[in-house]
Amino acid sequence: MLVALAAAVAPAVALADGHDAGRIEREAQAIAKVLKCPICQNLSVADSPTPLAAQMREIVRERLAAGDSREAIIAYFVARYGEEVLLVPPRTGFSQVVWWGALAIPIAGLVTVWMVLRERRRGTGAATFASPSTPAGAPAGTPVESLTEAERQRYEALLERELERLERRSA
Amino acid sequence: MALLCALVTAAYGLVAAGVGASRRFPEFVESARHAAYGVAALATVASGLLVFAFVSHDFSLKYVAENSTRDAPLSVALTGFWGGQAGSLLFWAWGLTLLAAAVAWIEFHRHRALIPATLGALFAIQLFFLGVLGFVAGPFEQLATPPPDGRGLNPLLWDDGMRIHPPLLLAGYMSFSAPFAFAIAALLTGRLAREWLAPVRRWMVFAWAVQGTGLLAGAWWAYHVLGWGGYWGWDPVENAALMPWLVATAFLHSIMVQERRGLLKTWNLGLVIATFALAIFGTFVVRSGVLSSVHSFAQSAIGPYFLAFLGVVLVLSLGLLFFRLAHLAPEGEFDSVVSREAAFLLNNLLLVAAAVATFWGTIFPLVSEVVRGVKISVGAPFYQFVNGPLLIALVVLMGVGPLVAWRRTSLASLWRNLRWPVLVAVAVTAVLFVLGIREGMAALASAATTFTLGTIVLEYWRGVRVRRRTTGEPLPVALVRLVGRARRRYGGYLVHLAVVLAAFGVIGSSYYQVERTGTLAPGESMTVGRYTFTYGGLYERPAPGVQTIFARLAVRNDTADLGEMRPERRIYRNWEQQPITGVAYRTVGPWLDDLYVLLTGWEEGNVASFRVFVNPLVSLIWAGGALFLLGTLIAAWPERARVARVHVPAARPIVSPAAPAAQAREVVAGEV
Repeated sequence: MLVALAAAVAPAVALADGHDAGRIEREAQAIAKVLKCPICQNLSVADSPTPLAAQMREIVRERLAAGDSREAIIAYFVARYGEEVLLVPPRTGFSQVVWWGALAIPIAGLVTVWMVLRERRRGTGAATFASPSTPAGAPAGTPVESLTEAERQRYEALLERELERLERRSA
Repeated sequence: MALLCALVTAAYGLVAAGVGASRRFPEFVESARHAAYGVAALATVASGLLVFAFVSHDFSLKYVAENSTRDAPLSVALTGFWGGQAGSLLFWAWGLTLLAAAVAWIEFHRHRALIPATLGALFAIQLFFLGVLGFVAGPFEQLATPPPDGRGLNPLLWDDGMRIHPPLLLAGYMSFSAPFAFAIAALLTGRLAREWLAPVRRWMVFAWAVQGTGLLAGAWWAYHVLGWGGYWGWDPVENAALMPWLVATAFLHSIMVQERRGLLKTWNLGLVIATFALAIFGTFVVRSGVLSSVHSFAQSAIGPYFLAFLGVVLVLSLGLLFFRLAHLAPEGEFDSVVSREAAFLLNNLLLVAAAVATFWGTIFPLVSEVVRGVKISVGAPFYQFVNGPLLIALVVLMGVGPLVAWRRTSLASLWRNLRWPVLVAVAVTAVLFVLGIREGMAALASAATTFTLGTIVLEYWRGVRVRRRTTGEPLPVALVRLVGRARRRYGGYLVHLAVVLAAFGVIGSSYYQVERTGTLAPGESMTVGRYTFTYGGLYERPAPGVQTIFARLAVRNDTADLGEMRPERRIYRNWEQQPITGVAYRTVGPWLDDLYVLLTGWEEGNVASFRVFVNPLVSLIWAGGALFLLGTLIAAWPERARVARVHVPAARPIVSPAAPAAQAREVVAGEV
């Protein structure tokens, strides 16, 4: 089996002549990256060490050399192994659901968080912050801003005090 | 027999805990506690028997015959314990009984009100697992005619990593039972004030650390053994292990909002329940083979039982949560979008979104099969597309979050805190651009990571500066003492630092991996990146049960000789069709390039073919892993002062409207 594997690799090297070879090799690699090795679960044909994947890489190279397009080669593998051979589902038909779902999840989360924050803040005395026109929380002209230097000093003083306290307690 | 005894004892323990909790009979609670020890002892006996069967090559046990051979070395034979389905379930259950015993031992006097219901919940989980082991998938099934020799373990599992990562993940899954049990106890008893926070957090940190270590060990194993040049394949089993960890990470952050402000109570309980449900789901995925995956070494009929259990867990715990909603009113409001609370909320959103998106991708093949009857694959590119941006956002937030004050911060002061890290990140990105790091996502990710690195260093620097000013200590002493004095805070930052290191490793190896294949005759060379590999010939090393063939490659770069590498292939008896790749790897150079060489095949005349990767910065992931452990240990290490006054409830103001006070408490975020 190892010899068969080696034999499958060898012609690829023999084929590499002329400047076309580099392009074919790159394209073959790109195609192999989007195909799933049918027997090894979640590894692309490019990454899989199995003999089957080596054969598939070889078929890709041969077909590229014969002038087939990327789409035709992928269609050939889909016809042979089913849609499962695509490493990720296509963005067409039913399979786009997975992509839309993936986009919708963080957006739905963001909307939920935003609604929760608004809900919780409504009716509270956060007058300087509750302006709906500044959603990112840009508080225009709040007194807080002018305190900043003092704030920093207070922060450091507090940190100092806290560290001292911790020190005493654990000593 | 020991299993059945354990089952009976666990059942008794459940009843005793129940009676003790509802009727307030202290003797029954005491008895339940002893039952926890008893179950643990019995499960230990059962596990010991299985281990003994492996050591003594008792092939009359079906499980041993399937997972061991006569000539397997002792360590490999022991790996068989959790290498198959029944054994790994026994390992899970055994771990759980030990965990319950530990909970009873450690928490019994600290949380008297919660402990009966907690033990009850743990007993209920034990009952399920021991029941499955006793009646459905037990490891002690006898064979009528014992075979002369066993079939042996899948050779992929012979590696050292196999001795570490599956038990760690099983232990991680199992450990999520403890915080869940405390949460259920809090819900059952209605004691939903502050009492349950400490034990839930303590045990969640424990489970989270074990699971995190297991994930890292799994990545290490995948990288060094599976031989495809990567460490994380977004395999369903990996996803299943990642999801509870992500949700637990979210919980460990949002729990601080509850400790500090009394907000997000329902949400936090929901996260605990979700974590446990995902842990059960993970065990189910690993062990049922329902989602086909590289890990589905064992497949069997336990699936329906697990699904039913999962359903019961979800219905009961969510029902309880709903029932107690009235007790879970928030104690305050969110004051501002620019506040620590909001940062934690955003952190939770990102982590949970990553978990949900991962879940969605993992189960979508099933959805497609059910809806269309067509099996499809959802592979790594999907998860990279979905989770990549979420993780970058998370890294940025990790930098910003700790610098935002509780309640509210002005954007101006926030900017003053952030400006140096931002400038450093911009400068570093510019330098990297000049050096050739120009891929959009890579540049963005490294800018984000550099920024966060900057903010973490700045946080340490501030603390150290204050200490030096007050104590006059030299810098290293100040640093060590600083971390020692506010462990939870600075240990947490160490974990953040670990994430940053790992992020650099992920960026480097995802975007700048170089890969070549080549077929060489002895004496020929191939060049990959800046490295030249000269093939010196093929050799053989025989050993009992396994034949090893290795190639010798001399490696050098532009300037220096880097020594020899020996990729190999191992062919195990009984598994001739599945030769195992022995990766040769080595980390070299200023960019921490991992040279990663595979021997893929050979033919007449010693001509061999190789696959060579140069993976920059991967070793930073492992360094990050070590730092993750260190940081977690520091943050979770019990403080002497606190242990000494365990019975005194901490008299600390919970919510104070005054901003200075809020800031004062922010300073000690590490030690509440």
